[in-house]
Amino acid sequence: MKVDNSPLDVPVSHALVDAAGLLVSADPAIATLNAHAGGAIGAPLAVAPIATVARLARRLGIVVSRGVLVADDDVDLDLWVRAQPEGEGVRLAIGGWRETRMRGAPTRDPAIDVSVGDADLRWDCDAALRLTFVSIGAGRRLGLDPFAFLGRPLTTLFQLDEDGEGALPLLDAVARRRQLGAQRATLRGSDRRVTLSAAVRQDDAGAFAGFVGAARLTDPAPVAAAAMPATFTEGLDKALRAPLARIIANADTINAATDGPVQQDYVDYAADIANAGRHLLGLVDDLVDLQGIERADFALTPEPIDLADVARRAAGLLSVRASNAGVAIARPLPALSVPATGDFRRALQIMVNLLGNAVRYSPDGSVVTVTALDDGKVATAIVADQGKGIAVEDQTRIFGKFERVDPSEAGGNGLGLYIARRLARAMGGDLVVESAPGDGARFILTLPR
Amino acid sequence: MSVVPDQPRADGIGARIAAGQAARGRAEARLSAAITDLFLPDHVRLDERTRLALARMLAAIVGALDTDIRRHAARILAGQQAEARAEALLAGTGGVQARLAEAGLLGDRGLIEELVARVRCDLIADALPVAIGAPDQASLLVRLTEVEDGVVAAAAKQLLGAETRRRLATESGALAGSELPAELHHRLVWWVAAAIREAAVASVGADAGTDRAIVDAAQRSLAAHDEGDRAEAVAMRLALAIDARADELGPLLVEAVGDRRLTLFIAVLARAGGMDFPVVRALVIEPEGDRLWLMLRAAGLDRATIARIALSLAEADPARDIERFADELDEIAGIATPAARDALAPLTLHADMRRALDALARAETR
Repeated sequence: MKVDNSPLDVPVSHALVDAAGLLVSADPAIATLNAHAGGAIGAPLAVAPIATVARLARRLGIVVSRGVLVADDDVDLDLWVRAQPEGEGVRLAIGGWRETRMRGAPTRDPAIDVSVGDADLRWDCDAALRLTFVSIGAGRRLGLDPFAFLGRPLTTLFQLDEDGEGALPLLDAVARRRQLGAQRATLRGSDRRVTLSAAVRQDDAGAFAGFVGAARLTDPAPVAAAAMPATFTEGLDKALRAPLARIIANADTINAATDGPVQQDYVDYAADIANAGRHLLGLVDDLVDLQGIERADFALTPEPIDLADVARRAAGLLSVRASNAGVAIARPLPALSVPATGDFRRALQIMVNLLGNAVRYSPDGSVVTVTALDDGKVATAIVADQGKGIAVEDQTRIFGKFERVDPSEAGGNGLGLYIARRLARAMGGDLVVESAPGDGARFILTLPR
Repeated sequence: MSVVPDQPRADGIGARIAAGQAARGRAEARLSAAITDLFLPDHVRLDERTRLALARMLAAIVGALDTDIRRHAARILAGQQAEARAEALLAGTGGVQARLAEAGLLGDRGLIEELVARVRCDLIADALPVAIGAPDQASLLVRLTEVEDGVVAAAAKQLLGAETRRRLATESGALAGSELPAELHHRLVWWVAAAIREAAVASVGADAGTDRAIVDAAQRSLAAHDEGDRAEAVAMRLALAIDARADELGPLLVEAVGDRRLTLFIAVLARAGGMDFPVVRALVIEPEGDRLWLMLRAAGLDRATIARIALSLAEADPARDIERFADELDEIAGIATPAARDALAPLTLHADMRRALDALARAETR
């Protein structure tokens, strides 16, 4: 699941289009996307869905916000585009880059994943978590007057429980605008225990606009949950998750400038704060991941995969971020196929992590090369960068917990390579590095055929 | 076991020939329907979602009335120790809709107009993009339930409840009542009652007691129907209570659309234009939108507000053409408010008068 979480830290990008629909200026991410589609500064915007939104906003004379799906090489980018008429032209703000997903990969559309059909009680709420819908028959069966709850806060109907780490999954879902998996709660006015799940409703600008939810009656909380091995991650998770969710939500609010105009500097700071917060949440995810893979019973389900395809997809997922950093990624040719045995998502997680590191440590204007090889015995994927390299004495250290390639460099939490190697070994393969200072680094992932 | 094939009996042969003739009739009907269907222009054809939703709603309404009347009539009969007849009534459930459709009664213009409008409205409202005022801000209707003006708050609460009921009924296909305007409900109840009686006579013969029980049950259904409970009526009461001033109208309409409360949007607009709910609803669901733009201009809304409303409706309704609207927006915004009002004046006439005028116009185009 890590792949969907990994923040491809491209903030909202801006561009300016003139009255004739010609691109006047663009941030790197948009410029790259536009160049891939054959466009350039001074020429008409070449990404058709975005050009359509810009044109419509100019002609209607109002802000047009719309989610668009843009094809960029191997990946589809799920972007939201906000076009605001400005003078004769249009100012574009494009976000959602981090939501990139592979073409053809199963979508994680919350509306589909969260089934409400078999729910014991269904509920909807708005952005302020006020109930706008409660299923009547079900409510009455549970001894409630559903109408009395309409318009009231969600918490008048459900008393929410903190999870094992002391956080409220519901607030977490709001902050991340992600579907709510399981929030344990008690139905008010009775001692009935329920588990809440919900799909997130977003507005055009991607802001949280409410839940479409379900409640299922559950037995009393299993005592086994409390018997989880107490590790240091529990404390960290407990301490971080809820406040982080709050910080992100507030920073996003300031960033969206919905409460009125905010000075541009502050809007940018807010974006930085939100990104930093998401980064920290990513760390919390990593720690939870870590806890999972360190358990004695951790196992993966190996299946036949194509390592060259995995490498290409990872390169596609990181192409926007690489462009932003002025780094090019050379990926395996489309025709190449390298059969391997492993877990697709975990292999992709490893490749995304390796490529993300390579892009982070690469100088502007350099190239990161991804290759995939099949020597008949094992399948190999190699990520090579032109960065400053890793000294021999550091090459073991970087695979340790909380170790970093360059401790003086910002970003990265020191868990990625540790998790990547653990995952590679769990699949019967390995992850090693070859490097000499000044000569870049080569990370080599091997998987059984 | 006989080795000689059974001799076909004479009545069997007759039945085969009759079946053959009937098949020919059906083939003719099928061909006619195919021709009609093939040459239907796209803009008048029902799309599949609407057709499906419409069929479900019609079945749910007729089914609800059918069950209601049978059940009550059976209870009356059982009270009179006519258990056999009561059971025969209950056992006959089903078939009413087919009978009414075959008789051409369900093709009633008013009924279908109402149902199409309701279905289109539901589908559009469901697909409207949600727009939040500000993060953590409650949605429009929820905020209205909390205003100091008790009349507005009470009406807003009622609307939240009515829309919840309507949505559950639509989803489950199990209606509590028809939720039709009184006149249509009245007509439909008697049709259903007549079909129930016809089937009862055919199965167990005519019986005065059964007739009386069916009539009593139908009258009970009529008495229980309160058209003031309908979401449309509740929305009108809310719009009346809000009584938006000219300068509040635009923001209120935009917020209603952003909260996906199309019923409230229609009601507020109807109140502003001094028109009936169904009239404005008809304008709102027209994919071309031409009359709606006039209506919005008649209400004095500016270019940006009209554009916002049009954009939201276009996002929700694939039949709409936002590019064409953008082409025409300057012209639309240029219409003077009094001119727009004059153009729509006939829509403010008494409903019966409008229907009579429409009927005359239809007769002329025939």
